[in-house]
Amino acid sequence: MIEVSHLTKNYRDLKAVDDISFQVASGQILGFLGPNGAGKTTTMRILTGVLPPTSGAVKVAGFDVFEEPLEVKRRVGYLPEQPPLYPEMTVRDYLAFVASIKGVAKKQRSSEVERVADRTASRQFIDRVIGNLSKGQRQRVGLAQALLGDPSVLILDEPTVGLDPAQIIEVRGLIRSLAGKHTIVLSTHILSEVTATCQKVLIISAGKVVAWDDLDGLRNKHATALTADGQPGPAPSLEEIYLKLTSA
Amino acid sequence: MKNALAIAKKELNIYFATPIAYVMFTLFVVIGSYYFLQLITQYEAISKQGMMMQNQEFLSRLNFQDVIFRSLFGFLGVILVFIVPFLTMRLIAEERRNKTIELLFTTPITPIEIVLGKYLAALAILACALGLTFLYPVLVEKFAGATGVEWRSVLLGYLGLFLLGAAFMAVGLFVSALTDSQVVAAMITFVLLLMMWIIGWAAQGSEGALKDVLQYLASVSHLDSFSKGIVDLKDLVYFLSVITLGLFATHRAVEAHRWS
Repeated sequence: MIEVSHLTKNYRDLKAVDDISFQVASGQILGFLGPNGAGKTTTMRILTGVLPPTSGAVKVAGFDVFEEPLEVKRRVGYLPEQPPLYPEMTVRDYLAFVASIKGVAKKQRSSEVERVADRTASRQFIDRVIGNLSKGQRQRVGLAQALLGDPSVLILDEPTVGLDPAQIIEVRGLIRSLAGKHTIVLSTHILSEVTATCQKVLIISAGKVVAWDDLDGLRNKHATALTADGQPGPAPSLEEIYLKLTSA
Repeated sequence: MKNALAIAKKELNIYFATPIAYVMFTLFVVIGSYYFLQLITQYEAISKQGMMMQNQEFLSRLNFQDVIFRSLFGFLGVILVFIVPFLTMRLIAEERRNKTIELLFTTPITPIEIVLGKYLAALAILACALGLTFLYPVLVEKFAGATGVEWRSVLLGYLGLFLLGAAFMAVGLFVSALTDSQVVAAMITFVLLLMMWIIGWAAQGSEGALKDVLQYLASVSHLDSFSKGIVDLKDLVYFLSVITLGLFATHRAVEAHRWS
């Protein structure tokens, strides 16, 4: 569903993303990890067609993001790090606006708005002005916006930031329930979130891929490396693996 | 085009949810009405003078268009210089500051549609502001009696005023695409519009070809032939080229921001 090959992005002299390649199969959830400034957001902005790559090819749902950005954008829902909200609008007006520019037909618009509001538990504040919402509520509206139009690919940049523990569990449940039908790239700093929701993990550091594997594969690989006498040692936690890979 | 209309609708939603448009409308109408009353008083004084002197020829030449509306439209055009920067400052700068521009870039909508949608909303706001001043000719018509208002010239004057405002809006939209800061956008737009206005003063002090060039570049002077009831091709070309150039430059600026 998502194919990234030899992707590089330079900002003038700075190499933000350096020759990374990975694929995400249809219906899979990819956990996307890396320290701040490793190039996660840049990669995700390229995947959504916002930012053109310096070199390399990115295909989403069979379309090249550079050649046919509009086709890609029709199939991708994106929640940026900072939810893109208009504080002056009500949640309902905002979602209706996003639905219309995402090409949801006029007749289905209001039912589509209510569907995503229900899925993200945003229904009880749907007629309030966004500027008056709490951070967690805004985050949920941002997530609702990404789900509009039922895109086959979802790219979520830290979707659980600012939520309370009960809401975090809810949103994780939501993300898990979306898998299968949707292909999801989930960026986060909360490693337990990855263990709880993702099948595959991609870790980047300083713009390079340091690990790309499924969870068990990653554990096994680093378990054997940890012992001195050739015996498979105790499986390390994702935290240990992450710290080991990104500190190098 | 459907997307552009969706953007325009959203912009209008925000314009009327925030006080800025109302404040600017009020300013426009309060200053405009003050000036209008001054002109009425002036008209009264002139016609009294004419009657006292029993000058029939003078009285027959006296009309509302020359004394009131030409002067009024020129004045409203100058107020637009002060008001437009505040109406356009947020259009793109705010999207950049709030990062909502990213939302627009991730949806299947082209930069041209973004620019056109925003410009349409700006024109609608302009039409509202000008519509509020329509009360002046209606009032004159009501109390004028036989002489009446020359509606053709008045409507052409409004067309000129609209084109002038539309040109100003295009400049403001472009400046708004260059920065994240609404204050900076408003200030730069104001300076540009002010320069487009006062360049006409420089024209008065110069001569020859330079005078013609400066005269043509001055914005408010292109309004006057409209309120005389004449549509001059060179004025139309001036307004339409400023609008086209402004929109084209805005489109380039939005594209450039995406690539940076």
